[in-house]
Amino acid sequence: MTAFLSYLISGLAIGCTYALVASGFVAIHRVTRVVNFAQGAFPVLAGLTVSSMLGRGLPHGAAELIGIAVAGLAGLVVGVVAIGKRGTPTLASLVITLGLGILAYAVEIVIWGDQPVSYSMLTGSVNIGGARIPTQYFLVIGVTVVTFVALALFFSRTYVGKALSACASNPYAARLTGIDPTRMGLVAFTLGGLLGGLAGVLITPLQPVAFDSDVLLATSGFAAAIFGGLNSAYAALVGGIVLGVLQAFVAGYLDAAYQTEVTLVLIILVMLYQSGRRSALTEELA
Amino acid sequence: MLDVTDLVVRYGKATALDGVSLHVAAGEMVALVGPNGAGKSTLVNTLSGILRAASGSFTVGGRLAQVPEGRQLFPELSVADNLRLGAWRLGRRPGARDPRRIYEILPDLARMARQPAGTLSGGQQQMVAVGRALMADPDILAVDELSLGLAPIVVADLARHLRELNESRGTAVLLIEQNARLAFDLCDRAYVLESGVISASGSSAELGRSEAITRAYLGGLTGTGTS
Amino acid sequence: MSAAVGSRGRAAAGARRPDALRVVGWVLGTLAAVVTLVAPAVLPRPQLTVYVLTGTAAMVTIGVSLLMGYAGQVSLGQAAFYAIGGYTAGLLAVHGVPTLLALAAAPLVAGGLGALVGLPILRLRGHYLAFATLAFQLILLAVVGQVAFFGGDIGLQGIPQLSLGGEALTGVQAYAWVTWVGVALVLLVTRNIIASRPGRGLRALATSETAAESCGVPVTGYKVTVFALSAAFAGLAGGIYAFFIGYLAPGSFPVLLSFQFVVMAVVGGLGTVWGPVVGAVVITLLVQVLNDLGTRPGMPPYASSVFSYAVYAVLLIVVLLFLPRGLLPALSGLLQRLLPGSRRPRAETAPALTDEAAPTGGARE
Repeated sequence: MTAFLSYLISGLAIGCTYALVASGFVAIHRVTRVVNFAQGAFPVLAGLTVSSMLGRGLPHGAAELIGIAVAGLAGLVVGVVAIGKRGTPTLASLVITLGLGILAYAVEIVIWGDQPVSYSMLTGSVNIGGARIPTQYFLVIGVTVVTFVALALFFSRTYVGKALSACASNPYAARLTGIDPTRMGLVAFTLGGLLGGLAGVLITPLQPVAFDSDVLLATSGFAAAIFGGLNSAYAALVGGIVLGVLQAFVAGYLDAAYQTEVTLVLIILVMLYQSGRRSALTEELA
Repeated sequence: MLDVTDLVVRYGKATALDGVSLHVAAGEMVALVGPNGAGKSTLVNTLSGILRAASGSFTVGGRLAQVPEGRQLFPELSVADNLRLGAWRLGRRPGARDPRRIYEILPDLARMARQPAGTLSGGQQQMVAVGRALMADPDILAVDELSLGLAPIVVADLARHLRELNESRGTAVLLIEQNARLAFDLCDRAYVLESGVISASGSSAELGRSEAITRAYLGGLTGTGTS
Repeated sequence: MSAAVGSRGRAAAGARRPDALRVVGWVLGTLAAVVTLVAPAVLPRPQLTVYVLTGTAAMVTIGVSLLMGYAGQVSLGQAAFYAIGGYTAGLLAVHGVPTLLALAAAPLVAGGLGALVGLPILRLRGHYLAFATLAFQLILLAVVGQVAFFGGDIGLQGIPQLSLGGEALTGVQAYAWVTWVGVALVLLVTRNIIASRPGRGLRALATSETAAESCGVPVTGYKVTVFALSAAFAGLAGGIYAFFIGYLAPGSFPVLLSFQFVVMAVVGGLGTVWGPVVGAVVITLLVQVLNDLGTRPGMPPYASSVFSYAVYAVLLIVVLLFLPRGLLPALSGLLQRLLPGSRRPRAETAPALTDEAAPTGGARE
C-alpha cells in the first residue's frame, strides 16, 4: 500500500510538471496553430539558469523568477523566428521550432556544459499512510493547480485572453477586427515560454536536467497536450496527470526503461483515436 | 466618405481589380453589384487593410468596418464576446467594449448574448456579424454578401436593420451583393463590377431599367424586395 | 542514364524548361555522373569514406524530399528505416545469408515495414504525423536496444564484407562504387515517379488532399506508397552502410540523424530530383569542416557536436525563412535570370511546405 501511494503521488507530481509543459504547447497552438517543438528547451533553460543563480548566491525566489523570465524570453525569441515573418506556412514554422530546439542544445552546452544539474527547493518530507512523500511534491501539485485555474480564467474572462482565442478560432476575422495575429502569436509564445519555465523550475529539484533532457520533457508534454487535441488546457492537465501516474507505475512495478515506450505508444494511440473522429476537411481548414 | 481611385490589386500574376474607382458620400447607401469572381471581396478586403493595392489609392473619411462574407464569427466565443472583440480598435475608451449599445439597435442579440456564436442560425449569425462591425463605431459599413445562404425573409429583416441604421445614425453603407434586386431596392446608387472593372454605374432606378443589367442580373431572379 | 535524369530532374514536371537552362542542366548532370563515377578511382581513402556517407545520406534524403515535397508529409523519423535496412542486411549476413541477397532484402523489408507503419499513421496530418514518425523512431531504437537478438545496446558486430560473385569487397573504393549504383538507382526511380501520372497526382496531394481526392486521386494509396518507397530508399542506404562499417548499434541512428536528413532535404530543395543530392553534399562537407574545427587542440570535447547542432539549426531556419524552395531551385532561378535566351518558365509547381489556400477573401499580405 505504501509503495502504491508513493508511486501515485510521485506520479501526480511529475504529471503536474508535464501538464505545465503541455499548457505551453496548448497556449501556443491555440493561438498560432503551430506545434512548438522547442517547448522542451524552456524548462531546461529555466532549470539551468536557476541552478547558476543559486550558485552565485542569489536567494531562492529571486533565482526562480529569473529562471522563469529567461524561459519567457526564450519563448519570445522562438516566436519571433518561427512566426515573425509574415507568410511563413504553419508546417515550416513547426520545422523552424525544431531547428530552434536543436540550437538550444548548442547554446546550453556552450553556457552550462554537458553535465546534469539539480538543486533543492523544499526539503523534508511528510508521512502519509506510511509513505514518506517529499514536501516538494505538494508544492508542485499546488502551483500547477493554481496556474491552470489562472490560465483558464485568463483565456475565458480577460479581454486579451479572448482576443488570443479569437486568433486561434478565426484568424481572418481577427484581422478584420484589428487584432494582429502575429503580435498575439508572440504573446502566446512568450506565455508558452513562461509556462515551460515554471515547469522547469519545479521539476529540476525532482529530476536533474541537462541539455538533452528537453526531448523527454517535450515528448511527455506533447503527450499530455494531445489529450485535448492541443487546444484544451483542462484536458492537458488530465493528460499530464494520467501520463505521470502511468509512468510512475510502470517504473515502479515493471521497469523504468519502458517508460519512454509506454509514453510514445500512448501518444500514438490517442492521436489515432482523435484523427478517427475528425474528417480530412476539418483538418485541412484547421 | 469613401473615395476609391484607380485601384489595382493583384494576386501574384492574376489581376483581381484593374483600375476601380468609386465614391460613397457620407450617409449614403451605395451598392456594388457583380457576379462571382468579379473582385468584390477583393475590393472590400483592400479597404479593410488586409490586402495591399498594387497601384491606385483610396481614402476613408472616418472609420470603416467590414461585415465579412460568410459571417466569419468566432464560433466558440459567446455572442457577447464576439461583439466585445469588435471594439478592439477602439482601445481602452470607457464603455467602448460594452455591447449594450448594440443591443439597443439589434435587440435580438441581447437574448442570445451568452450563446456560443457557432450554435446560432445563419440569419442570427449575420446579425452578430453586423453588430460586431457596429461595435467599432464605424462611419461607413462595408457589407459583403449579406444575403448569402439566407432565407428571403431573414434577408428582408436584416436589410430593414441596415436601412434603419443608415437613417437614424447616418452610417454610410457600401453593400456588396450578387443579389442585384436586393441591392437596387436598398440603395439609391449602384456600381456594377465585372472582371475587375466597373462596367456600369448610376442610380438604382436607371440601372434597374437598363436592359443589359436586367438580362444579366435580374432576369429570372425572384424578387427579394425589402419594402 | 544520369544525364537524362539530370536534365529531366531539373524541370518542374510539366513545365518546359527554357532551352539555355536545359542545356546547362544536361551538361551539369552528365558532368556530375561522370565525375562521381571516376572519383573513387582517384580519391584517397578518408575522402572515400566521406563519399560513401554522402551517397547513403543522399539516398535517404531523396526519399525524405519526395515525401515532404511531393506528398506534403513531414517525416522526423526517417533514420528509423535507415536503421531497419541496416539491421536487416546485417542480421541476415551474420546468419549466413549471401551478402548480396541480404543487401537486396534491406530495402524490401524497410519498404514493407514502411507500408505497414504508414497505413495507420498516415491518417494523421501535419504536426501529428511529424510527431508520430519521431515517436516511431524512438520506440524502434528503444526496442532494438533492449532485445538481445539485435545485439542490444552494444550492437551487432562482425557483419561480413559485401561480396559480389564470390569476390569479397575489401577496398573502400568498391563500396564507393556500390554507393554510386545505389544513388543512381534511387534517382532513376524517383525521376520516373515524378514525371509520371501518379507523380502529378502526388503533387495534387501536397496542395490539397480533399481536392485531390475529389479528382479521383487515390489519396491513401499514394501516400502509403510514397512513404513505403522513401522507407525503401532509406533501407537500401542502411544496408550499404551496414556492410561498409561492419558494425551497428542503436547509437548509430539517433534522432538527430533524422533531423539531419530533413535539413539536407530542405536545404537542397524539396520535391526536386537533384535537390536532395545537393543538400546531402553541402551538409556533409560542412559537417566535415566543422569536425575538423571541433577537434583542433584547445577545443572542448563537445565542440564538434555543438557546432553541428548550431549549424544544422541555423541553416534550416535560414533556408526555410529566406529560401523556402531550397538551394537548387534558388540557384536555377538565378541562372534563368543570368542566361541569355532563357524564357521565364511557368510558376514552380512543386510546393515547399505550403499552407492550404486561404479562404475566400482570406489573409494574404
